[in-house]
Amino acid sequence: MRILSTVQFTGLRMLRNYIVLLLLLVVPILLITVFSFILAGVETETGEKPLHGVVKIMVVSFQLFGGSIVMSYIQHEFFTAHRMRLNMIPIRKELYAFSIMMCGTVYSILLGVILMLYSQFALGIPWNWAWSIYVITLMAILSSIVCLIFALAVRSFKLAERLSEVYGVGFILLAGLFFPMPDNAFFDFMGSYGNPLMLAMLSIQAIEQSNAGEAWFTANILLGAVVLLFVLMLVLGRRRIG
Amino acid sequence: MTVFRFVFLRSFRNTTNLIFLTLFPLVCIFMPQGDPWPVLPYGYQLFGVFLLFVSIRLASYIQVDRMSGVVKRLSIAPLSHASYLSQHLLAYLLIIMLQCVILVYGGVLYGQPLIQPFLLLILYISYSLAALAIALAWITLFRNKELAFFGFMSFVFLVSVLGGIIVPVSMFPEWLARIAVLFPTYWLAEGQLWIVYGNELGDFLFVNVVLWLYALVFMIIGSTRKLR
Amino acid sequence: MQGVVKRYGNAVALDYVDLAIYEGEIVGLLGPNGAGKTTLIQTMTGMVPIERGTIKLFGQSNNPFTHANKEKLGLVTQEITVYDELTAKENLQFFAGVYGLKGSERKERVQEALAFVGLAEYADKVPTKFSGGMKRRLNIACALTHRPKLLIMDEPTVGIDPQSRNHILESVKKLQEQGTTILYTTHYMEEVQEIASRVVIMDQGQMIKGGTVDQLIQSIQHEERIHIDVADTSLLPVEQLQSIAGVMHVDVAGTRVTVISTAGSGNVDRILSLVKEYTGVLGIQTENPDLEDVFLTLTGKQLRDGGGEA
Repeated sequence: MRILSTVQFTGLRMLRNYIVLLLLLVVPILLITVFSFILAGVETETGEKPLHGVVKIMVVSFQLFGGSIVMSYIQHEFFTAHRMRLNMIPIRKELYAFSIMMCGTVYSILLGVILMLYSQFALGIPWNWAWSIYVITLMAILSSIVCLIFALAVRSFKLAERLSEVYGVGFILLAGLFFPMPDNAFFDFMGSYGNPLMLAMLSIQAIEQSNAGEAWFTANILLGAVVLLFVLMLVLGRRRIG
Repeated sequence: MTVFRFVFLRSFRNTTNLIFLTLFPLVCIFMPQGDPWPVLPYGYQLFGVFLLFVSIRLASYIQVDRMSGVVKRLSIAPLSHASYLSQHLLAYLLIIMLQCVILVYGGVLYGQPLIQPFLLLILYISYSLAALAIALAWITLFRNKELAFFGFMSFVFLVSVLGGIIVPVSMFPEWLARIAVLFPTYWLAEGQLWIVYGNELGDFLFVNVVLWLYALVFMIIGSTRKLR
Repeated sequence: MQGVVKRYGNAVALDYVDLAIYEGEIVGLLGPNGAGKTTLIQTMTGMVPIERGTIKLFGQSNNPFTHANKEKLGLVTQEITVYDELTAKENLQFFAGVYGLKGSERKERVQEALAFVGLAEYADKVPTKFSGGMKRRLNIACALTHRPKLLIMDEPTVGIDPQSRNHILESVKKLQEQGTTILYTTHYMEEVQEIASRVVIMDQGQMIKGGTVDQLIQSIQHEERIHIDVADTSLLPVEQLQSIAGVMHVDVAGTRVTVISTAGSGNVDRILSLVKEYTGVLGIQTENPDLEDVFLTLTGKQLRDGGGEA
């Protein structure tokens, strides 16, 4: 119960963090809008609108950075002067850390859903809502876990921050969104099944093409990564926080 | 030139900064060529975005000085505001120029088709001046270093897209293409187009003059906040 | 705590420390930076494990850091550990919540704590809008909503204005009147003199001496203290002064030299003539000892000497 009483305030703190809102909500909305202007009316020979794919991949891409919210709050609570006060409080620290992780993840999902709402109702991008939210949830959890692993595995928070940026930007680059990657087995893998961003996109595209088998397969790879990394995070967390 | 010397010391003593400042130009050299766009290899396009980030990172030293009270201390020292600012900017420009040289001539050595490397270097230097001035003006708007940095990051994302670095301006609707002219990134992309396809040197000069004007205007805005 | 030892690598942070705090008292823990005050707090609250010795909290020595015991403890951290994104009221609601307070009880305690530190009218403001003193007061209030039996205050007045400092000291006295036991660490002598029922002096990880302010001053009454203002301290024959019979300690600060001698040693004339041989004497003054003198005598240094973390 005591942990539950903290959730409201953790949520409030996140909602009032204007830098997060700027980077993970305002910027993507502006970028999506600009792209909608640029790609308005563009259609492929088969009648597909490239804008739909671009907007979807942007919404999912920003989930790669959602984990930095969790990372910064965990760092603030457990690895700064706050740690001293926290140690005196009669609550289970690992549960409190978990509650922060859940809050950050839900917040990241919420931002993703707002982007989906905006893109659907303002720009007319169709989504398969249930499945897309499931995939975005997996991406948000994965990003939180990965960022927490960085925060727990290295001593310097600045380094952890840089690593989280490498995780986000790295997978966007590997997906070939900025420029084409070399054509070899490694980059092919990292541009498809070895890349969470591409797994999420493949899954969303597969469900839109009524290919449930492929959709589940790609989503389950993400789920598997979540489970595996969660175990690693627990081990590291016990060492640093518990 | 004490300020100038210590700006170098501060910039290069930070390991992360050092890696950030040297590694990226090197990585850019090896990025592939697009077909049919961008006209120069991708790294030379993305370097324009990177220069904006470097500018804010370097300009943030001035902001740190303002926040920590160093500027107050300097305001009673025999050092004018203009001298403090110009020594900072000169040091920053030299650091950025070094990166530009690494990128351009590293590319030449690697065999990238840069067509007119020297003029490309001139273009990057003009653009760097504008980027630095914009970063300088930007930091005067904020008291908080983090907010300034992340705000600028958001600004860079938008300017990169709207200025035609991420998507060619030729794809823009007409009204958006007109707006694109307002961003320095547009002029970098224009300059690169000239380097590959241009004939009249006057056109290239015009691009550079526009970038210098950007530098002048934003430098004036950025230097209005005195040492207090 | 009894015989507590704590090391960080080869550095001894606590060296066989004994400390007892009795119900209802304010214990002033004095020590310069680096004396081991913060480590002492960390060990007595279970934040860092000890290598040797025993810690008894509220009569419990076997696993004393239970949640039940933590509920009776309050900590005012040296750093300001409040949430910038939450208002003053929300900060207190958060801390009240983690101590299990709910509903109207929580509301009452929050109002009470805000009023206690004089921030009631700023309840809905975020700490980023506060002055340094107001932030310190909010930091204190965060440790009060659950009405701790033992309140540990780690340098709660660092870097604030005299008005806020007075407010904090008054609050501490009021808390004691309400029955709270307080451990108050500081390196401001005058604060301890004003509020502490008992003082413990700590240096280099050791407990040097303890007692009431009067007892501690009494303990050095066997000393004489002469302050001599001189024209040039660099010319002073410090070693020769120290070798005069009865002289225990010589301290030079600014243009003043302080010589501490055994009471009745009759060496004042000798000291003065020696000083005059080397430099001009501008003035001479004898002084009744205070806590600062106690500290100087016991540790051989000024309380505000040195730097670094406590």
